[in-house]
Amino acid sequence: MNLILASILTMGGLSALFAIFLAIMEKRFKVEEDTRIDKITNILPGINCGGCGYGSCRALAEAMVKGEAPLDSCVLGGKVEEIAKILGVKFESGKNEKKIAFIKCGATDSQRRKKAVYEGVESCQAANMIAGGENICPYGCLGYGDCEKVCPFGAITLIEGLPRVDSQKCTGCGKCVEACPRDLISLEYIRDEISYRVACSSLDKGKRARVACSKACIGCGLCVKICPFDASYLENNLAKIDQRNCQRCGLCAWRCPTGAILEYL
Amino acid sequence: MKIILLILSTVLVNNFVLHYFLGICPFLGVTGRIKSAIAMGLATTFVMTLTATIIWPIEHLILFKFNLSFLEYVVAILVIASLVQVIEMFIRKVSPVIYRTLGIYLPLITTNCSILFLALLIPLRGYNFLESVVFGFAAGIGFTLVMVIMGAIREELDFADIPESFKGAPITLIIAGLLALVFMGFSGLISA
Repeated sequence: MNLILASILTMGGLSALFAIFLAIMEKRFKVEEDTRIDKITNILPGINCGGCGYGSCRALAEAMVKGEAPLDSCVLGGKVEEIAKILGVKFESGKNEKKIAFIKCGATDSQRRKKAVYEGVESCQAANMIAGGENICPYGCLGYGDCEKVCPFGAITLIEGLPRVDSQKCTGCGKCVEACPRDLISLEYIRDEISYRVACSSLDKGKRARVACSKACIGCGLCVKICPFDASYLENNLAKIDQRNCQRCGLCAWRCPTGAILEYL
Repeated sequence: MKIILLILSTVLVNNFVLHYFLGICPFLGVTGRIKSAIAMGLATTFVMTLTATIIWPIEHLILFKFNLSFLEYVVAILVIASLVQVIEMFIRKVSPVIYRTLGIYLPLITTNCSILFLALLIPLRGYNFLESVVFGFAAGIGFTLVMVIMGAIREELDFADIPESFKGAPITLIIAGLLALVFMGFSGLISA
């Protein structure tokens, strides 16, 4: 009898102790999250089927808040208008939208400054492993065309060491996204014929970025100031353009001192 | 001297992964890239050290005193689960990137058998408090070491010309076996 009592007391006491400890830690390490993520997660079906291409409903909600996924990505359909209301954007159907690859680097071979001469295997993957290739810029395109080789539709061609995407041929299959060792390629929705995008991935501060490449985004913020629609913003010394707000006026591309914002057709 | 011997024997000779074959799940699952292997190794080291620190007083001050050593398993699981919760919160706060890379393997530290083994081995070996803390830490370092070696080899494997039928899991298991053979060579290091 004593033994039972003692074990109950021991386990109960220890559990209570750990519970209190965990509760305190929970308060201390609380992660501040966008409350909209929770709201959208509640609206979504919540069965984590993965049909949208994201791992879970929560992951999709996060992508929606970031603007990476269209609001009607959920294959089960659902309350698109409510999601739009939470995000404060107008809902436009994404059914006739097409995803194509964009390369977030705009410097041709001559515009990238070199730190060494690379004479190894002609592949971005290999060059990236050996001290990051011959360019100073640790973020930008390496120019050996791994994406060109992997594209099954011949939509990517290297011109002056920089891959260009043919928007007519690109099907958005995503093979190039996986092939790029520097994660420079992303699939993005195209709505209008013209779009303005930041063709740079450098997270370096202005001076360092400038030294590495003449086309680099130096994080000056002029595009943010000039944009009449609040579509441009800076994140880690890199300008970004929110395509949902962008009205294709082109002021940012005109203002950009290094020409890092490009007009895509 | 005894402490140094303890560290050496735990890290190299009686390595948890390659000698006792414990914790194979993260050893094969998270070693695809060095970075996630290091993160996982350090997280496990943290949990192991703290488990050893906490389990020793509980065993010696409560369980053995009241003849409750049959509760060892349950208490060990309770301690490990709580610690993993803490480290999960911590990593989520400090680095969301690592949190996402580790994914399901982070909560799975709870069921990592090497940690439970550690908690059960400490009373069996009759360590004192200091020794058990050092033992826990060394076991974690040994785990991290093996994880990093495996991660480095698998990163290099990206460029190796592997026969089609050996790609993926088979070659990984072969490497794990070879590594275990290599670590057997350490068994002559300390004669005790």
